[in-house]
Amino acid sequence: MIKKFIHQFASPKTYLFQVDRAYSYIFYISLFIYLGSLFWGLFLTSEDFVQGNSYRIIYLHVPASFISQSLYLAMAFASAIFLIWKVKLSAYLVKSIAPIGAITTFIALISGSIWGIPTWGTWWAWDARIISTLILFIMYLGLISLHDSFTDYEKADKFLAILVIVGSVNIPIIKMSVEWWSTLHQTASITVTEKPAIDSSMLYPLFGSMIGFAGLVCCLVILSSKLQILTREKNKSWVKNYV
Amino acid sequence: MKLINFEFLKLRKKSRGWLGPILVFILIMTAFPLTVEILNSNLEQAFFSVLWIATLLVMMLATEDIFLEDYNDGTLEQTAIKYDSLALLVAIKIFVYWSLIGIPISLIGALYAFGITGSIESALQILPVLIITTYIFLNIFSFGNALSLTKGSILGTLITMPLVLPLLVVLGKVVIAINLGISFLGFLFLLLGILSIIILILPMVISFVIKAHLE
Amino acid sequence: MFNFAFDSIGEAFIMQSANGQSHGIYVWSVIFIVFLSLAVTFFVYKRKISSIGKKIK
Repeated sequence: MIKKFIHQFASPKTYLFQVDRAYSYIFYISLFIYLGSLFWGLFLTSEDFVQGNSYRIIYLHVPASFISQSLYLAMAFASAIFLIWKVKLSAYLVKSIAPIGAITTFIALISGSIWGIPTWGTWWAWDARIISTLILFIMYLGLISLHDSFTDYEKADKFLAILVIVGSVNIPIIKMSVEWWSTLHQTASITVTEKPAIDSSMLYPLFGSMIGFAGLVCCLVILSSKLQILTREKNKSWVKNYV
Repeated sequence: MKLINFEFLKLRKKSRGWLGPILVFILIMTAFPLTVEILNSNLEQAFFSVLWIATLLVMMLATEDIFLEDYNDGTLEQTAIKYDSLALLVAIKIFVYWSLIGIPISLIGALYAFGITGSIESALQILPVLIITTYIFLNIFSFGNALSLTKGSILGTLITMPLVLPLLVVLGKVVIAINLGISFLGFLFLLLGILSIIILILPMVISFVIKAHLE
Repeated sequence: MFNFAFDSIGEAFIMQSANGQSHGIYVWSVIFIVFLSLAVTFFVYKRKISSIGKKIK
């Protein structure tokens, strides 16, 4: 029965049906959580001892960078599923996540660089984590342009999947770059193994904004995948009934 | 064995294939001191960056038609059918390109390093680094070329350029290690490790991509 | 009920901290950019979906 439950997700029609039902719930709940945690973090927490009030950008910057890396890992996972089991829906998802990942990385880069002006004195510094995130942004753009340059969709899907998997070597570099090299960036305050180095009154809005942002990005991915499925399957009969 | 000789013959005959990148490299490295003031003492500091960037660009240039001619006249299809592993052919091709383009470039680069910094020790230390780096670049850029085999090679190599940028960061650290004289061997082994992984994995990936093109 | 960190809307706009720096402009510009990009992305996708829906019909 579980196999049947999973197998039904391989069809774009069932995927669209389930996702349409869930969309408004995900959107409004995650919007509520995001705005609520932002309100809590911006107005109700006290200021940081070292950085003053500009540390509040953390509630916007950290979720964006975390989500952009997770989106790439999701793309790599979906590419692996596509290459091994030839599930077309995975290829659609890989193609649709790429622009959203680019936007999220853009948000992370811009918010990080504006945050750098009061804290580090400069809006750009060539240290390892910033360079690696910029590389991630360029890779997202390269993925989008690679898929758009092919007219034959089958080949384009395969090449996109391979490039995503080969390029996923960048993600460990981003995550570990603050530990391998001595950089301007601070080391991770929240790890799985130790007690968080950040005060708990600042930690809860951070988690809340991460969950809220993840939900909003999920809605964007749903919209993007809907567009991709409608574009690719527009000759099928169920699409005419659906629209 | 026959394959290696055959590939060597092919590349040797096409003199613009291997002479072109080497001459471009010499051109860039010679033009670099001309663009800075002649008595400038910052020449040494900027030299190594120009060396890495020139290596990067020349490797990108060298892989421009590594698979294109064979794809166009059907040789690639024939060898894909005849030999069991296309990956071996790809690995041999890249090895041949590396030995005819990569090694001369490393020697010339080490020579320039000796010329500009004046210390034979740093030149001898940069030689193995250059040899390994050119091989890694060649692998990654031929992967890029294989991705856009039918659409012209520039798109593919540009798209895989972000993959070599972390390597450039490591190379910058290598230069600092050479200048300060510390832990050079550690970086060398790191580069050797990266090379060994890439040599094993990328030819298989490239052969998968080429087979997808041939369908 | 809530213990606000800032006493009035004007102070929340400038966000002056204990060591005298006013970082309000940075925080609010980041908020503006993030919300703008998210909203634009949502609207662009909704418009693209409706236009392709019209084309299919």
